[in-house]
Amino acid sequence: MAASLSEIEKKTLKALDSSKAKSPEEISKLSGLPIDSVRRALQWLKEKELIELRENQEACIKLEPAGKSSLRKGLPEKMFVQALKELGGKATLDAVKKKSMLNTPELHASMGLAKKNAWISILGGEKGVELELTGLEKDLLEGNYALEKALEAAETGQEIGKNERSELLRRGLAEESLKVNRKALLNQNGGRALQNLGKAKQRAYNVQGAVPKIFIGKKQPYIQFLEQIRAKLVAFGFKEMASPLITQEFYNFDVLFQPQNHPARSWTDTYQLKQPKTGKLPGKETVSRVKAAHESGWKTGSRGWGYNWSKEIASRVMPTAHGTAHSARQVVAGVEVPGKYFTIARCYRPDVVDATHLIEFNQMEGFIVDESFTFKHLLGMLKQFAVEIAGAEEVKFFPDYYPFTEPSVQLSAKHPELGWVEFGGAGIFRPEMMLPLDIKEPTLAWGIGIDRLAMFKLGIKDIRYLFAQNLDWLRNSKAVVVE
Amino acid sequence: MPNVEVNLKDMQKLVGKKLSLEQMKEAVLYAKGEVDAVEGDTLTVDIKDTNRPDLLSAEGIAREIRGRVAKGKGVPEYKVKKSGVKFFVDKNVQPIRPKIAAAIVKNVKVSENFLIQMIQLQEKIHLTFGRKRREAAIGLYDWSKLEQPMHYRAYKPGEKRFIPLEYNVEMDLEEILEDHPKGRDYAHLLEGQKLYPILEDNRGVVASMPPIINSQLTGKVSGDTKEVLVEVTGYRQETVNTALNVMVSALAERGFGVYSVEIVYPKGKIVTPNFAPKKASLSLAEINRISGLGLGKKQAIELLGRGCYNALAKGDKIEVEYPAYRQDILHPVDIIEDIIISYGFDKIEPTPVSVPTVGAESKGAKTAKIVRETCVGIGLQEVLTFTMTSKERQTSKIGLDLEKEQFVEIANPVSENYAVFRKRVFPELLEFLSKNKHCLYPQKVFEFGKTLELDKGSETGVVEKDRLCIVLSGKGAGFNTIKGVLDAVTENLGIEYSLKESDLAFLEKGRQAEITAVGKKGFLGEVSEKAKQSFGLEQGTVVLELEI
Repeated sequence: MAASLSEIEKKTLKALDSSKAKSPEEISKLSGLPIDSVRRALQWLKEKELIELRENQEACIKLEPAGKSSLRKGLPEKMFVQALKELGGKATLDAVKKKSMLNTPELHASMGLAKKNAWISILGGEKGVELELTGLEKDLLEGNYALEKALEAAETGQEIGKNERSELLRRGLAEESLKVNRKALLNQNGGRALQNLGKAKQRAYNVQGAVPKIFIGKKQPYIQFLEQIRAKLVAFGFKEMASPLITQEFYNFDVLFQPQNHPARSWTDTYQLKQPKTGKLPGKETVSRVKAAHESGWKTGSRGWGYNWSKEIASRVMPTAHGTAHSARQVVAGVEVPGKYFTIARCYRPDVVDATHLIEFNQMEGFIVDESFTFKHLLGMLKQFAVEIAGAEEVKFFPDYYPFTEPSVQLSAKHPELGWVEFGGAGIFRPEMMLPLDIKEPTLAWGIGIDRLAMFKLGIKDIRYLFAQNLDWLRNSKAVVVE
Repeated sequence: MPNVEVNLKDMQKLVGKKLSLEQMKEAVLYAKGEVDAVEGDTLTVDIKDTNRPDLLSAEGIAREIRGRVAKGKGVPEYKVKKSGVKFFVDKNVQPIRPKIAAAIVKNVKVSENFLIQMIQLQEKIHLTFGRKRREAAIGLYDWSKLEQPMHYRAYKPGEKRFIPLEYNVEMDLEEILEDHPKGRDYAHLLEGQKLYPILEDNRGVVASMPPIINSQLTGKVSGDTKEVLVEVTGYRQETVNTALNVMVSALAERGFGVYSVEIVYPKGKIVTPNFAPKKASLSLAEINRISGLGLGKKQAIELLGRGCYNALAKGDKIEVEYPAYRQDILHPVDIIEDIIISYGFDKIEPTPVSVPTVGAESKGAKTAKIVRETCVGIGLQEVLTFTMTSKERQTSKIGLDLEKEQFVEIANPVSENYAVFRKRVFPELLEFLSKNKHCLYPQKVFEFGKTLELDKGSETGVVEKDRLCIVLSGKGAGFNTIKGVLDAVTENLGIEYSLKESDLAFLEKGRQAEITAVGKKGFLGEVSEKAKQSFGLEQGTVVLELEI
């Protein structure tokens, strides 16, 4: 109902009340609408049965031309007294007549009234009849005259005293007429309509109809996912490590005790750079210890790999092949004990891009270090990740292999919808890696297949959609929520 | 991670227990294996440990799990008899490929499974432990076709001819390297040599040209073969010995007789194979410090036994012996892992980590979040593109000179589409727009990501910058539009900037500017008609790119 009201109807409705009837004039004042608009609106609202119009007839008084002229120039009796005053307060009737420019009937009526009101006294004398002011005319001249006030009131429609009213009529200054007053009052429907006003818009729409699509600003879904995962890791007490895209082989492999002739370091397994070729190695002591660890185990109790370690190979730079390169950089730079570290790293591997392979992808990796940690804590941490990050119901651990951890473990997690999935790998960093860097406490390293988890969360089957090139898909994507 | 194909029935026989398919799947976990595929009786096992060549055959996997799921304890014992065969190694092969080890296996009963496994193991060792034949190249021969003593010596390329494997014509050594597929694959291993190594018998009959190819006449094991000569060449005696041990112990698992040979070097001689167990020592405290299992000595020794170790308590220490085919044990932690594997990962109760630490995002991540939220706030859609791209897209496609621009460049790209690291983000966003011309306009996208530039002074020779790129496309998108965006973004991020008229080739003249903001550079303006054309863009397109 309310929706079908026009703007002036609404404004009028808002100015109304259900207890006190209001006149169009009042409504006009309250609503700021022109009086005509209010009158129109009241008529429409009545037809819509939203208001009640109350009409009453009222006798009202209206000035005649003589009345209007008196209002403008003053009443004859006032002009009469005024003239007398200007003549010095004592003058003949003729002199007053001349001065006041009243006609004879007005002159006589005025003199009668003046006498009656004791404004003047009439004196007989040598020059004939003379008129003299008594002093009582003061009120009249100062504007304190009831009939004069009644004239003004009649003009503006105000209340007039009974005596003055009959005097005006008697003297033909005014005439009596009947006036119809309309006042409006809200009825029950109107009250309801008024309440609904705030809620409805303009006219009634087809609510099923299509509306123009709004494209809001959005973060990329994969970014949304990664931001929430990052927040979880921070909540678990992990510090985020930097993750440069280009790294020295030293950090990608050598610190991680991966021998320089290892097949994983080959042309087919990692990207290599045409330019730049090499970077800088850290301090001499660190480099010589890493070299010794590779060649003969240094002082770690290891046999080492038994080959000649080359500084040139270690200082080559390459696109980061795995997130553990950043853990390696961190342990060289130094760690807090106890400490927890993680990174979400962009990594690169030569491959052909298809629905299941990217050459550029993210890995989430990190480590925790404390004197008290054992292999059992490693399993405990992995279980926590699987439950808290992937919503896993059950976990299983299998023996696994990484060149830089021993023992190593693979984690499978049972996801409520995906079933058993390989979720991540972990292990204790090898002594050949940690002891040369002066870290004696067990350091538990882990990595999680974050891309696969993201694909599930984003509901995609094609891994390329992590870097979606489809604007419609991005625009229509839902907010990502990692519980 | 090498895949090994094994036959279920063959495995049951080798393990000595009739494990069901499901039981076998569980059991191979003890060998760090995972069954990836099952086809009939053939299982494809992914062996995760790339440092365990001894696990790359059915025999090796069976041996590793036997003690854990069936009977068997300690280091497997293989009897070795003397064959009386000698291998003479010439001085002239020393600078080329100096080391060799060999053994003869007799009473061979050739079966399909055996042949498959033997050839598979040879190939897998070549690929992994042998570093593509460089460190270890294995030859297998029908011993009945050769006459002892054997000679390992080097010849000039034209000096020797033989029929290489799978050929029917004689070729000289140079021809083999140039024409034979294997010759071409492995010629680099002999690069720069004037002489090439040859293994031949007493009559001068060629057995092989290590590490390239065997002879078609002698270097082939077939269904009739009763005696197999196994030989490995390389640079280090330890390495070739290990490869030989892995190979021969796998054959011995099938019950064949192993015979040793004498290798006579110019200086000194050795006998191979040598199956004497290797020794190591570790303490119970160390075992428990790492495993957290709180094991007693007796229990630790028992678990070691099931993992093919001989173990003996000696004071504080446990002295262990492990098989000669294992070369991966560098440190006691490697043995401790085997103890935990024998114990069973599934029997370990995970201990929650309760050490409290304070977490923190990296500075970069914090900045990225604020930048992204700012852009989302002005209604932009975030896009994620690759940091690797093509040189063309970064240069000629936007009107820059391909020859002049320097990039951080990949040496071994798989595709020219991913051959350099991007220096600017916006060509990637133009590419994005070019793929989405059918979508509703205006299109308003941004990316906050890394760009790479060469920088000799830096640690990696590369400087990595975090850059914000915004591209707006649609009717009425002009200079003032993007300048308004710049104002909004910089104001929210509290960045003060100054603009200077610029003359960048990829932006319209007179409708572009260079941004300087607290020492960081950027640009904004209307994308040039030429650049728009090369991406097939028709609508007005403006860009803003700024390092943050």
